[in-house]
Amino acid sequence: MSIAALVARFGRQHALQEIKWLKSAVQDNQHALEHLINRRLTGEPLQYILGTQPFGPLNLLVRPPVLIPRPETEHWAIQLAQLLSPTPAKPLSLLDLGTGSGCIPLLLCHLWPSGSLYAHGIDCSPDAVQLATDNAESVGIRLLSASTRRDGALTHNVFKPELASYLDPTVLNLLEPPYDVITANPPYIPRREYDDLPSEVKDYEDQRALLGGEDGLIFYHAIAKLVADGLLAEHGTLALEVGHDQAPRVQEILRAAAHMESIDVWLDPWGKQRTIIARRS
Amino acid sequence: MLSLRIGRSCTSSSPLLRLVAIQHRSYTAAKPQTNARIVNSASAQKQIQDIENNASKILRAVQLRTAERRKLRSEMTETFSTAEDIQRMKRLKETEDIQAAWTEWESTRELLNETIALLADEDPAMCAMAQEEYISLLSTLSHLASTKFPELLVPNSSTGHLSALMELKSGVGGSESSLFLSELLRMYMRYANVMNWKAALVGSNELDGGGTKDAIVEITGSGAYDALRWESGVHRVQRVPATETSGRVHTSTVAVVVLPLVEEKSVNAEEDLFSMDDIKLEVMRARGAGGQHVNKTESAVRLTHIPSGITVSMQDERSQHQNRRRAFQVLRARLMDLKIAAEIKSRRDVRRNLVQGADRSEKIRTYNFPQDRITDHRIGLTLTGINYVMEGDGLQSIIDPLQFHHNESVLADMLDEVPS
Ligand SMILES: C[S@@+](CC[C@H](N)C(=O)[O-])C[C@H]1O[C@@H](n2cnc3c(N)ncnc32)[C@H](O)[C@@H]1O
Repeated sequence: MSIAALVARFGRQHALQEIKWLKSAVQDNQHALEHLINRRLTGEPLQYILGTQPFGPLNLLVRPPVLIPRPETEHWAIQLAQLLSPTPAKPLSLLDLGTGSGCIPLLLCHLWPSGSLYAHGIDCSPDAVQLATDNAESVGIRLLSASTRRDGALTHNVFKPELASYLDPTVLNLLEPPYDVITANPPYIPRREYDDLPSEVKDYEDQRALLGGEDGLIFYHAIAKLVADGLLAEHGTLALEVGHDQAPRVQEILRAAAHMESIDVWLDPWGKQRTIIARRS
Repeated sequence: MLSLRIGRSCTSSSPLLRLVAIQHRSYTAAKPQTNARIVNSASAQKQIQDIENNASKILRAVQLRTAERRKLRSEMTETFSTAEDIQRMKRLKETEDIQAAWTEWESTRELLNETIALLADEDPAMCAMAQEEYISLLSTLSHLASTKFPELLVPNSSTGHLSALMELKSGVGGSESSLFLSELLRMYMRYANVMNWKAALVGSNELDGGGTKDAIVEITGSGAYDALRWESGVHRVQRVPATETSGRVHTSTVAVVVLPLVEEKSVNAEEDLFSMDDIKLEVMRARGAGGQHVNKTESAVRLTHIPSGITVSMQDERSQHQNRRRAFQVLRARLMDLKIAAEIKSRRDVRRNLVQGADRSEKIRTYNFPQDRITDHRIGLTLTGINYVMEGDGLQSIIDPLQFHHNESVLADMLDEVPS
C-alpha cells in the first residue's frame, strides 16, 4: 500500500501531514489520492504536486522547474518588510535579482502600503518570468510590462518581471538605477554540494536556480560589481540570502568589491546565518 | 404589596441548592395555567403568590434598582449640571427600562387585585370576563418575572463580542472516543452554521481508522464565545460501538476547552496579553544546510510563553508563517482565558456559578444513545432526541438553559452584594 511506503520514507508524523495536504487537494477522492501519493513516492516535491506554496500571507503558484520558495526566504522577506517602512509620500524602488516565482517582490508589494513600492524583478529563465507574472495576477498585484519604464507617482504597488541576466555586462542599460533596495536569493550551491543534493531538489528544480559556480559565490561577485557600478542608491539597502556557511565570505566580497561597511547578518529560524543586510554608508 | 419571602435563614442555606431550586421552579411552576378552568379567588391568590415566590430574588433586585433611581433623583442638584449629575443621569438612563418594566409589574398587580374581586361576581357575563382578564394578566406577570426582569437585570457580557476557539481532545475509550470527537466537531460546526458564524478547522490529528484524536476549531462571530463557553468540560458518550459484536454499551469521553478568541488586529501593544520577550519560538525539526539545499516542507513550530509555561505546537499549515500565526492565536486565546478566569475569581461569583466555575476535567454532559437522551449534569437538564442536537440545531436547547442558569447566578450575586 502506498501510504505505508510514504510512512516508511518520511516517518509517520510527516507522512500523515503530507497525506492530509494531498487529500484536501483531491477532495478526499481515494483514487486521485493514490495517484498523488505515487507521484510523491517517485520523489516529486509536494509543492509541485499541489501546485502552490504559501509564502507569508500569500498563496503562490509553483511550477517545475522554477525554484520552490523556501521557509528561510519567507522568514527574512517578512523581516525586511518590517525593517523598512515606505509610504506613498516616501516610496521605494526595488530590484529583485533572480526573481523566480516572484515571491520576494510580491510579498513586499502585498505587505507595504499601496503606492509605496515600485518593484522590478529580473530572471534569466523564461519559465520563471512567466510564473512571476502569473503570480502577480493571482495575488492581485499590478503588473508593468517589461518594456515600459516607470513614470510619475505610483497609485498602486507595481511589479515588473523581466527576462534578463545579471551576469550580462550590458544589463545596466536595461535596468533603472539607482534602486533604493536590492534583494536577491542568488544560486549559491557550490558544485561539490550540488552533486550530493537530494533527488527531490536536483531532479526537479532548475540547475540554474541552484548552482553558484565551483565555489557557490559567482553571483555574489557579480552583485558586488553591480553595486560598485551604481545600481544601489547612496543610502540604499542590499538584502542577500546566503548558503549555510557563506555569510563571512559574502561579507568579505561586499567590503572588498563594493565598499559596503555597514553589514548585518540575520539568522534563519534554524539558527543559520542566512541573510546579509548591507548598506554603503 | 409585594411580600419578600427571602429572609436571613434562606440566604444562608447553600447558594447552589437555592439556585437549582429556582431553576426548577421557574421551568415548571412559573408557567401560568392557561386552560380555561374556573379560578376562584383563593387559588388566584395562590398562583400570584407562587409567581412572586419563585421570582422573589429577581423582584428584590428590581426593587433595589428602583430604590437606587429614587435616591439618584433626590441627589440631583438644581442645575442638573455637575459632573456627579452627569454620572447620575447616565445611571438613570441605564435603568430606565427596568423602571418601565417595574411600573408595568405594579399596574398589572393592581389590576389583578381588582380582577380577583370580580372572579366570583354574581353576573355570569362579568364573571367570565374577569376570568379571561385574570388569565391574561397572570401571563403578563409571569412573563415579567421569568423573562423580562432577568433580561434587564443581567449586565451586558464583557465577552459578548468575542469569537471562540474550541479545543477537543479524545479521552478514555480509544477509537470510540475519537469517533465521537469527530461527531462533536461536526455538531459544533453545524451549530456555528445555524448561528451564522464562520467555522474553520485550525488543526486536527485524524486517525487512520477514522475518527479524530484531537482538533482545534475556530468559530468567528459575535456572541460565539459567550454561547459556546458552556461547552468546556468532559463530554461522555454511552453507546454500543459499531465494532462491538457482543452489543455491550461502552462509555467514552471527549474533553472540550472553549477559549475566547482575541483578534490580532484588535490588540494594541500595551493591552497585549504578553510581551514578545517572554516568548520562546522553536522550529521543530533539524533542516541540515537548509535554504536552497532542501525543499522538504518543514513548517511545524512551537511557542512557549515562559511566565505561564503555556506551550503551543502547530503543524497543520504548510508554511512556518501560517503555523506561527495560528500558534500565537491559540496562545492569545489561552492567556485571555486565564485572564477572564482570574477576573471571575476576583469577583467571587465563581463560588456559586456551577457552569462557568466547572473544573474542565469534570464530566459535564452525557450522551446516552440507547436511551436517546442527553443529560447536562451541571443543571440536571435531560433532553431526548440526540440526533436533533448532533445535527447542530438542537444544541441551542441545551445552551439556553445554561445561559439562563448563568444569568440567574449573576443575579444572585448582585442581590447578595446588597444588605437586605
Ligand atoms: C535560488 S533561485 C531564487 C528564486 C526566488 N527569488 C526565490 O527566492 O525563491 C535563483 C533564481 O535566479 C535565476 N538566475 C540564475 N542565474 C541568473 C542570471 N544570470 N540572471 C538572472 N537570473 C538568474 C534563476 O532562474 C532562479 O530563478
